[in-house]
Amino acid sequence: MIKRGFLRPRSKKAADPGVGGNGLRRRGLSERKLALLFVTPALGLLALTLLWPLILAVDLSLRDVRFIGKPGAFVGLENYSDVLSEARFWQSGLRSLIWVAGNAVVQTALALAAALVLHQSFPGVQIARIWVLLTWIVPTVVVVIIWRWLLSNSGGMINPLLMQLGLLEAPVGFFSSRQSAMTTLILINSWRWFPFVTLMILAALTRIPGDLDEAARMDGAGAWQRFRRITWPLLQPTLSVLLVVGTLLSFNVFDIIWLTTAGGPSGGTQTLPVLIYETAFKGYELSRAAAISVLTGLLLMGFAIAASRSMTREEGA
Amino acid sequence: MRRSLPLRLLLAVTILFFLLLIGLPFWWVISGSFKLPQEIIAREPTLVPHSFTLQHYAKLLDASAYPTYLLNSLIVGLASSVLTVLLAVPAAYAFFRMEFPFREGMYRAILLAYAFPGVIVLIPIYGLFAQLGLVDNLLALIIVNTTFALPFSIWMMRSFLATIPRDLEEAARMDGAPTPVILRRILVPLILPGIAAVGVFAFISSWTEYLFASVLILSDDKRTVPVGFAGIIGQYQIDWGLLLAGASLAILPVVIIFSLIGRSFVSGLTDGAVK
Amino acid sequence: MTYKTTSSLTFSILLLGSGSALAQTELMLWHMEQPPHRVERVQELLDAFNAAHPDIVVKQEPQNWGEIYAKAPAALAAGNGPDLLFAIPDFAPILKEIGAVQDVGAFVGTLDAKHDLLDSAVGSYSYDNGVWAVPLYNMAMSLWYHKGAFEAAGLAAPKTWSEWQAATEKLTTDGKYGIGLPASKGLYTDQVVYNFMVNNGASELYNADGTFAFDNPKTAESYAMAAALQKFSPPDSAGWFWGDAEACFASGTCASILQFTTITTYETQGGGDAANLGVAPIPHADGESQHNTIAYANAVMLLSDDPAKRVAFETFISWLLEPANYGRFLNMEPGLFLPVTADGAKADSFWNDPLVQKYKPQIETMIANSANGMLFGFTNGRTFPSIAPISGQNVLSEVLQAVVIDGVDPAAAVTDGQARMQDIAQ
Repeated sequence: MIKRGFLRPRSKKAADPGVGGNGLRRRGLSERKLALLFVTPALGLLALTLLWPLILAVDLSLRDVRFIGKPGAFVGLENYSDVLSEARFWQSGLRSLIWVAGNAVVQTALALAAALVLHQSFPGVQIARIWVLLTWIVPTVVVVIIWRWLLSNSGGMINPLLMQLGLLEAPVGFFSSRQSAMTTLILINSWRWFPFVTLMILAALTRIPGDLDEAARMDGAGAWQRFRRITWPLLQPTLSVLLVVGTLLSFNVFDIIWLTTAGGPSGGTQTLPVLIYETAFKGYELSRAAAISVLTGLLLMGFAIAASRSMTREEGA
Repeated sequence: MRRSLPLRLLLAVTILFFLLLIGLPFWWVISGSFKLPQEIIAREPTLVPHSFTLQHYAKLLDASAYPTYLLNSLIVGLASSVLTVLLAVPAAYAFFRMEFPFREGMYRAILLAYAFPGVIVLIPIYGLFAQLGLVDNLLALIIVNTTFALPFSIWMMRSFLATIPRDLEEAARMDGAPTPVILRRILVPLILPGIAAVGVFAFISSWTEYLFASVLILSDDKRTVPVGFAGIIGQYQIDWGLLLAGASLAILPVVIIFSLIGRSFVSGLTDGAVK
Repeated sequence: MTYKTTSSLTFSILLLGSGSALAQTELMLWHMEQPPHRVERVQELLDAFNAAHPDIVVKQEPQNWGEIYAKAPAALAAGNGPDLLFAIPDFAPILKEIGAVQDVGAFVGTLDAKHDLLDSAVGSYSYDNGVWAVPLYNMAMSLWYHKGAFEAAGLAAPKTWSEWQAATEKLTTDGKYGIGLPASKGLYTDQVVYNFMVNNGASELYNADGTFAFDNPKTAESYAMAAALQKFSPPDSAGWFWGDAEACFASGTCASILQFTTITTYETQGGGDAANLGVAPIPHADGESQHNTIAYANAVMLLSDDPAKRVAFETFISWLLEPANYGRFLNMEPGLFLPVTADGAKADSFWNDPLVQKYKPQIETMIANSANGMLFGFTNGRTFPSIAPISGQNVLSEVLQAVVIDGVDPAAAVTDGQARMQDIAQ
C-alpha cells in the first residue's frame, strides 16, 4: 500500500514549516492537490455561509430596503453618506472603542493573573484549571439574568455586600448612569470571557521551556525579574494574537449589552453592534444597518491587517 | 520548589479572590433557586437560604419544554463540534505543513471572519437557508455554529501542530508513507488532545449561541436552551424563582459534560504534544 | 389497462375521495405568551376547539417578544410564516406594509354586533380603509399601592398630581420608596411615561395631518412630573425591565407602581393579602378632570389569503370570543388580560377563576379604569407608519432619560424628542 517513490525525502535545509523542499514537480503538484483537498471543505463552508452573505449584505447596503419582504431600489452610496453624517454613528463608534479598550485591560489583567496562578502547583490546581472555565460555558442569557438579579435593589446581593464592606453608603443602581452602566457591563463581560483567555495564556506559559526559568532562578533572579525578563517576552507572540482576535470578538459582542441595557441608559452603552441591531429591527432601516455593518467590518479588517503586519510570527515552531 | 512567604501569601490571596469571583455568583443563583419567592426578592438578601422549596424546578420541568431544549442543544452541540473537527484538522494541517498557492493570504483572511458583527449576516443567511429549506431545522444551527467556530479552531489547531517536532513526521516520510497515512497513523493520535480542545471549543460556542438560534428556529420543539430560557423570562412579568431554576438547569448539563471531558480540553491546550 | 394500473387508479380515486372527507384546514398560530402556564392554557383551549371542529386543526407556536420583530417579517418573506399572529397595535403596520395582513373589517363588524367590542380596541387597528386585526384581550395600567403603607402614613390614594407628589414624598423613608417608576430605555418606560401625558391633556403624538404634536408645554409638564416622581424611586430603576417594578412592589420596597397588573406576582411572591392590595386610577394633573390610562388592545392578525383558512380563522375566533370560552382564554394570566367585549366582562368563565375571585374588587377597578384607555400613535383614528420605528426605538423613554439621567430641561428634551421623531419618520 505504501507507494515507494511517491514521496522523496525532504531536504533538511528548510527550517520554515510548510515551505516545501526541493522536491520534484510531480510531488509538488500532488501535495498541492492534497492540500487543496484538505482546505476546500472548510473554506467552502466559510465561503457559502460567511462570504456570500457578506456580499449580499453589501448589496443590501446599496439599496433602500426598510425591512425584509419589501424590496428596495438601488441608491448607491446614499446610505453610507447618511450614516457617516449622523452623530449617532460616531458616538457609537467611540463607545465601541471604550468598550474594547476596557475589556482588553480588564480581561488581560484578570487572565494573566489567573494564568500565572494556575501555572503554579498547589493542591487542587488540576481541578482549578478545569473549573476556572465555569463562567465561559454558561449561556449569555443566563449570565445576564444572574447579574441583573445580583445587582438589583430587590433581592440583589451586591449592594448589601458593598455596604457591609463599607464601600457604599446607600444602594446604587449600577445601570443608572452612562458611565457606571458601561463600566458594569465591561466587568460582567470580562467575568464571562476571561477564563477562556486564561486558558490560552496558560497554554502559552506551559510552552515556555522550564529550564530557562530554572536557570534564572539558580542564578538568583527573583520572581518579578524572572517574569519580566523571561516570561513576559516569551508570552508576547501569544498575547499579540489574542489581542487581535480578542479585539475583534469583543468589538462585536452584542447579546450581553442588548439583554442588559438595550443600549441605554441614554445611549450610554450603545456600541456599534447594538446600533446596528436597533437600526435594523427596531428602526426598520435594514439597508442603513447594513451600511453601518460594512463600515464597521472595514474598520476592523483594517485594524486586524495592520496589527498582524506589525506582529512577529507567533509560531516560531 | 519552595516559595517565599510573601509569595505564598500572594498566591493564596489570589486563589481566594478568583474562587469568590467565580464561585460566589453561582452559589447565590443556585441557592436562590431553592428559596421561596418572597425570600428571593427580599430587601435583605440571605447568603444561606432560610427556606427550601422545589416548586420552581417542578414548574420548570412540568410546564415548559426544558428537557426538549436540553436535548436540542446537545444534538446541535455535538454535531457542530464533530463537523468543526472534521473540517478544521485537515485545514490546519494543510495551512501548516503543506504548500499551496495563496496559503498565507487565505490563512490571514480566515481570522478576518471575526471582523464582522454577527447581526449583519443574520438576514442574508436567513434568506439563504429559506431557499435551501433549512429554516426551522437543527441542521441550519449546526452549519452556522460550525462556521463561527472554524476560524479560531483552525488557528488553535495550527498552533497545536506547531508543537509537534518535524522529526517524527520526517521519519515517517523517510519510510515513504504518503501524506494521508502520515496524518492518520501518526499525527492523529499525537494531536488527539488538540482535537479535544477544538471539539470542546466548538461545543461550548454552539451551546451558548443565541442570536441565530432565536431567528432560525420557529417551532418550540426545536428550540435550544438559550432561546428557551429567554422565553421563560416572559413579557410583562418575571418569575424570579423560575428564572433562577432555569439558570441553574442551563448550567447543569455543561457542568456535567465538562466534568467528564474538561480534563482533556485543558490538557489538550496546556500539555503540548511531545510529552 | 393492466390489473396494476386499474387497482392503483381505483386506489387513488378512493384516496382522493376519502381525502376530501377528511380534508382538514390547518391553522398555525404564533403568539408571544410564552410563560409555561399561558402556553398550557392555550393548548387546553386549542384541544377543546379542535375536538369540537374536526375539520379544523389549530396549532400554536409560542414566540418571544424580543425576537418576533426580526423573526416575523423574515419568516413571512421566506414563506414559512404563521397563519395567525397575535399583535399589539404598533406591530401591525409593519406587517401590513409587507402586504401580509388581511383586512378583517367585515368579520370584526359581525363580532361587534354580537359581543359589543371595545371601541378603542377596534380603533387601534382601524386605518387605511380596513381593520387589520381582531381585538382579543386588553391591558390597561392602574396605580397599584400597599393600602397598609398608605394608611399608616395617613394617606388616601392620590387623585391629582399635587396629592401624588405629596404622598410619594411622604412615603419615601427608611429604605423604602414611595413609587417605583422605571427610567430605562424600553417599552415599559414608554408606557409609564405616556400615562403622565394622557393625564395632562398631551395624549396626541401626531396631528391629523401627520405632523408631530409632541412638542408642546403640556408634554413638557408631563415629563417634569414623571421626573419629579422618579426621584423617589429605587436607584436601579433606570435599568428596570419587565418584572423589576413588580419585584420591588411585591417585596414591599416600593409603596406603589404603575403597572398593568401585579396580581400574580403579589399572590405568589408578595404574600397574597388581597385586602392590602390597593388599585386606583392613575392620578390626573390638577387642571384635568378625567382619569386616563394607557391601554393596549392585543389582537390577532390573519396572514393567509387562503379562503379556506379565512373561514377556519373566523370559526376559531368566534368560538374563542364566546362567553363560555372567552373567560378561560383571558385567565391564562389571571388579572392581566381584560375583556374587550361587553359580554366577556360579565362572563362566568371569566369570574369563576379562583384568583379572579380572590381579587374581584381589584379586577373590577381595572376594568373600569380601562374604559378611558388610549395608546400613543393610535389615538385619533389615523395611524401613521412611522409609529412603528418610533415605538421600536423607544423615543418616549429616551426623552425621559435625557431629563432624569442627563439633567436636560424637560421642554428642551421634548423638543429634541420631536426632532428625533421627525428624523425617524423620513
